[in-house]
Amino acid sequence: MILNLALKSLRNRRFTAVLTVLSIALAVALLLGVERIREQSREAFARTISGTDLIVGARSSPMHLLLFSVFRIGNPNNNVRWDSYREIAARPEVAWTIPLSLGDSHRGYRVLGTTPDYFEHLRFAREHKLAFAHGTRFENARDAVLGAEVAQALGYGLGQPIVIAHGSGEMESSLHKEHPFRVVGILAPTGTPVDRTIHVPLEGIDLIHTGADEAAHDPLAAAVQKMRPRQRSDPEARPISAFLLGLKTRGGALSLQRVVNDHAREALTAILPGVTLLEVWEVVGTAERALLAMSVLVVVVGLAGMLVALLTSLAERRREMAVLRSVGARPAQIFGLILGEATLLGVIGVALGGIALDVGVLLARPWLQSHLGFFVEPGWPTPREAGLMLSIVVAAGLVGVLPAYRIYRYSLADGMTIRM
Amino acid sequence: MGGSSWPLARTTVRVVVDAASAIVVELSGVVFSWPAVARPVVNVASLRIARGERVFLRGPSGSGKSTLLSLLAGVVTPQAGAIRMLGTDLGALRGAARDRFRADHVGYIFQMFNLIPYLSVLENVCLPCGFSAARAAKAKRTAPDVREEARRLLDHLDMGSAEVLRRPVTELSVGQQQRVAAARALMGAPDLVLADEPTSALDADRRAAFLELLFRECERAAATLVFASHDISLAPRFDRTIDVSASLHDPQPRPQELA
Repeated sequence: MILNLALKSLRNRRFTAVLTVLSIALAVALLLGVERIREQSREAFARTISGTDLIVGARSSPMHLLLFSVFRIGNPNNNVRWDSYREIAARPEVAWTIPLSLGDSHRGYRVLGTTPDYFEHLRFAREHKLAFAHGTRFENARDAVLGAEVAQALGYGLGQPIVIAHGSGEMESSLHKEHPFRVVGILAPTGTPVDRTIHVPLEGIDLIHTGADEAAHDPLAAAVQKMRPRQRSDPEARPISAFLLGLKTRGGALSLQRVVNDHAREALTAILPGVTLLEVWEVVGTAERALLAMSVLVVVVGLAGMLVALLTSLAERRREMAVLRSVGARPAQIFGLILGEATLLGVIGVALGGIALDVGVLLARPWLQSHLGFFVEPGWPTPREAGLMLSIVVAAGLVGVLPAYRIYRYSLADGMTIRM
Repeated sequence: MGGSSWPLARTTVRVVVDAASAIVVELSGVVFSWPAVARPVVNVASLRIARGERVFLRGPSGSGKSTLLSLLAGVVTPQAGAIRMLGTDLGALRGAARDRFRADHVGYIFQMFNLIPYLSVLENVCLPCGFSAARAAKAKRTAPDVREEARRLLDHLDMGSAEVLRRPVTELSVGQQQRVAAARALMGAPDLVLADEPTSALDADRRAAFLELLFRECERAAATLVFASHDISLAPRFDRTIDVSASLHDPQPRPQELA
């Protein structure tokens, strides 16, 4: 009865009701959007490093090592000597290793020098192996395997010759025009930075850097060369940026980490990716919390709008309440009517906000993916999102308590006369 | 609140003891004042209203007519004295029980703005049945369902045409609104119909017509009618007139002595 009245009363004041619902819906969509991007970016980060027990690089901060080696964020500022890598890789507890050599790029996409083990042992999203959409792994020094996004964005197919440059970013410092690579494989999408990477064999990286002729007339290139001394063709002297490592048994990770960190001949850092990722979240968490706080504020503003709308309607509704009292409505029911209206506005606003977010995500997904690298999926709310939505509905109800209480007081005091 | 410096309570209801058998309303020593107003606005030593009676409450505005009706409806409770309705002491009932009692036994017509703007004519008339199962049950005694009974009542009040029923209540004329309000007050045949200046917004012709309809339907529902108005020209049509402001022009002994 009371809910029915609340519904009809809202329909009667549909203009304010629609505005109120819209402002709540927008606020909810924003809050849930921030929350979803947060969750899904965490998930995306987590899915990038499945199955790797340790990451080893030159002595640096663990976060830096994790970010450049796995997420292609930032650049390595020191190398790992090949003999150190061989020595650690040869330890009995080590099941596999993937060497990574970073520092070159092609039209803004990072170039990664590695070995065929990369395609064998790298895992993403728990237990998924890299799969080829077209072609195969690299075999020759000048073969290249493209991530799904690289192939799509640059429109490259198998057999495409590509030229690789030093440095990363749109401004490539020195082109290695005389050493074009040829695309032999294109990977299926993974939703990880692999999609934005060009993979070449370590020998290919060696080849680029052995022809040091450009260093003669390009001082900038010479400086880069000095940082990455790869001029020697001897593979034993080849430095790498970092390597990923899988153990035969998980339990040995901590002890091997200690061994690597105490490595005598070279200052190395070994990290447990999961642990370091948590540290990253601690840093990112501050910004996330600020963003979340702002969206919560927007929700508060939306609810304040509802409060104002309800309070301003009270004066004209005192008469209505007296009529309801005359037909037997209890003051508690009058209270419930206003509370019900507030809650209804909250429910409709939250539901609309949720739908708006999913529609928005559906529309913006390609853009988010290509421009920001976010993999946001539409879908049912997660338990956390559902909790947020529920708390907004509850908050809307609580906001309704104030006008409900006022009209309750009026209805007690007014009796059958409406005294303004 | 006038500049009267009367030592007595300003408002007193003349006591008329009715010999009729079934007493619907019985007041004794009822004193009521609004918060922050020292002087009681209602001070009734004794009042009895019998079943089926048509009682006219007269008195200028501000004389306490509406407050007396609020007391009879059980929306407010007196500071002193007792109100018995249908043998039930309203003062002994808790708030919610009083509201239920009102829903079951009382129909109310306001001076104006009787209708809930967001409900249809039929929904407005059916409203009491939403708050009282007893009224709904009574309504179903004379019609197959509540809406049918509402239609029947509206029809009796010349408001039954499909065209009128379709219209939003805010587009009805004042006279039409008052007739819808009367239909609502009579819905489910309550024992007592309270009307607070229901005709003051109507012109003379419509006033007479409305009163006729109201009398007829109250009689049909066997409802007692208490009708408050400042328009004494209506008084002769009622069984009895109670002057709420009697003390102003017809000084009475102190109410305490009366009781």
